[in-house]
Amino acid sequence: MHVADGILSVPVAGVAALASAAAVGISLRQLRDRVADRIVPFTGMMAALVFAGQMVNFPLFGTLVSGHLMGGVLAAVVLGPYAGCLALTLVLLVQCLLFADGGLMALGVNVLHMAVVGSMGGYAVYAVLRRMLGGGPRAALAAAIAASWLSVMAAAALFCLEFRLSWPRADYDFSKIFTLMITLHSAIGVGEAVITGVIVSFVLRQRPDLIVPDTASGSSVVSLRGLAAGVVGALAIAAFVAPFASPHPDGLEAVSQRAEFASLAREQTVTALADYEFPSLVPRWQSAPAWQMVSVSLAGILGTLSVLCLAIVLGRALRSPPPRDVSVE
Amino acid sequence: MAAAPTTQSAGTLCHRLPGPWKLGLCLAVIVCGLLTPIGSWPVYGVLGTLVFIGHTVAEVPLGYLARRLAVFLPLLLMLSISLPAVEGFRRGSDIMAAILFRGSLSFLTVLWLIRVLPFAELLKTLTRLRVPALLVAMLAFMHRYALLLWSELSRMRVARSARTFGRAERHFRWKTSAQMIGMLLIRGMSRAERVHQAMCARGWDGQFRQNEQPREAEQMPIQATD
Repeated sequence: MHVADGILSVPVAGVAALASAAAVGISLRQLRDRVADRIVPFTGMMAALVFAGQMVNFPLFGTLVSGHLMGGVLAAVVLGPYAGCLALTLVLLVQCLLFADGGLMALGVNVLHMAVVGSMGGYAVYAVLRRMLGGGPRAALAAAIAASWLSVMAAAALFCLEFRLSWPRADYDFSKIFTLMITLHSAIGVGEAVITGVIVSFVLRQRPDLIVPDTASGSSVVSLRGLAAGVVGALAIAAFVAPFASPHPDGLEAVSQRAEFASLAREQTVTALADYEFPSLVPRWQSAPAWQMVSVSLAGILGTLSVLCLAIVLGRALRSPPPRDVSVE
Repeated sequence: MAAAPTTQSAGTLCHRLPGPWKLGLCLAVIVCGLLTPIGSWPVYGVLGTLVFIGHTVAEVPLGYLARRLAVFLPLLLMLSISLPAVEGFRRGSDIMAAILFRGSLSFLTVLWLIRVLPFAELLKTLTRLRVPALLVAMLAFMHRYALLLWSELSRMRVARSARTFGRAERHFRWKTSAQMIGMLLIRGMSRAERVHQAMCARGWDGQFRQNEQPREAEQMPIQATD
């Protein structure tokens, strides 16, 4: 999921960094007003936990490919949206500054995708769904699963948008890139939903008090949250429309072509794709024509169905074993 | 996941530079590398020399660089080698070389930064750059607990492979891996609770204070608190 340096143009990365900085600022302000002292060790611990949790491999297709947790929704479900956003921001900062993962320039983009959309947006979806489903532990579980999947799709759609804005020339077939991106991410999203689901159901069984009850009060918070959830949902839906994007220049492009970076686009588009995910799949996809469009929609439907099944199965599983005593160490 | 090496050769010129300078220098080199068009080898040469001089002055041991690059380069090579196949050999090989160079340049630059900017100094630098105190405090906590949780996770892994003889079906692995993270979460949160109570008992008022000269013990990134 990390976007590396050089994929997006400098202006786009700059705007993303500004948006991320604003979100982090809002989170800090919210926390300072409330329970500032208690939240410090908890957020630090959660960041460390997501960091360690990302090192746990989940095998896929043999042992060659493996996935890992991203943790945005998990952090938000335990700590709330603001502290969750900060925890993910810290994880990305440390990965960038101490382990040379991602890149200094792309940090803002990564924070936007994983902390802001993943944690804040994911929490909005979670809270709205949980309220709609009745608010109990099983509702929390189903809402967390759905929110994980939706937030991954929303981040993928956002990436497509940023990519389109970064490379305005129509000399590269965007629909192919987007098809690849969305197909991959609907799979990644299902993985994230499964992992988050198992973790949340485990925690709900052992320490249900850790999954905070929704404390939203006042209609403004609720409506704001509804708005955020709507944006995430809309982005996720947009993800499945993205591959149908027209290859011809449009108004947006005409504007961005005036910018200086248009000349850079030609030599860097391929670089850009290659840095992201699996470049070796591209030639194969180029030879498959109409199938792409169908397969994206198919992937969307399958993804939604599997997340739904997962929510039901895990919801059932939650009922059976009684709470056991887990003492530390 | 080794701890970032700290001040074994703290006396060099690079180590004595002010923190914000180090961060700024690195950012400048990386941005220059990214903005340089593909094929401008003289500029790449200058940047490469700059990074080389930086590493030499900071007395970074070659073995350390070699070990880190041995992990990083195959990954980069795998990514870039598929390009000539997609783009045609001539153009593709140019781009491939550029990616290899840019990637290694950014990586080496950040390695230099990690080497000359110990974590305690990074925190100080961030404070000087007016990063909010709350965020810096959280970062300090995260650094303190990351390695602790990591070793706890490795113990859980050992326990799991001891019980499954190292073999497990995929479904089982997924379930146990996720539950391991869940268990880690529960333990971590309990620990955070205890830490917070201990902090309150010692008169925590929401402000972090840092010693100018960190004691020997503080060089250790992690110490168990309970």
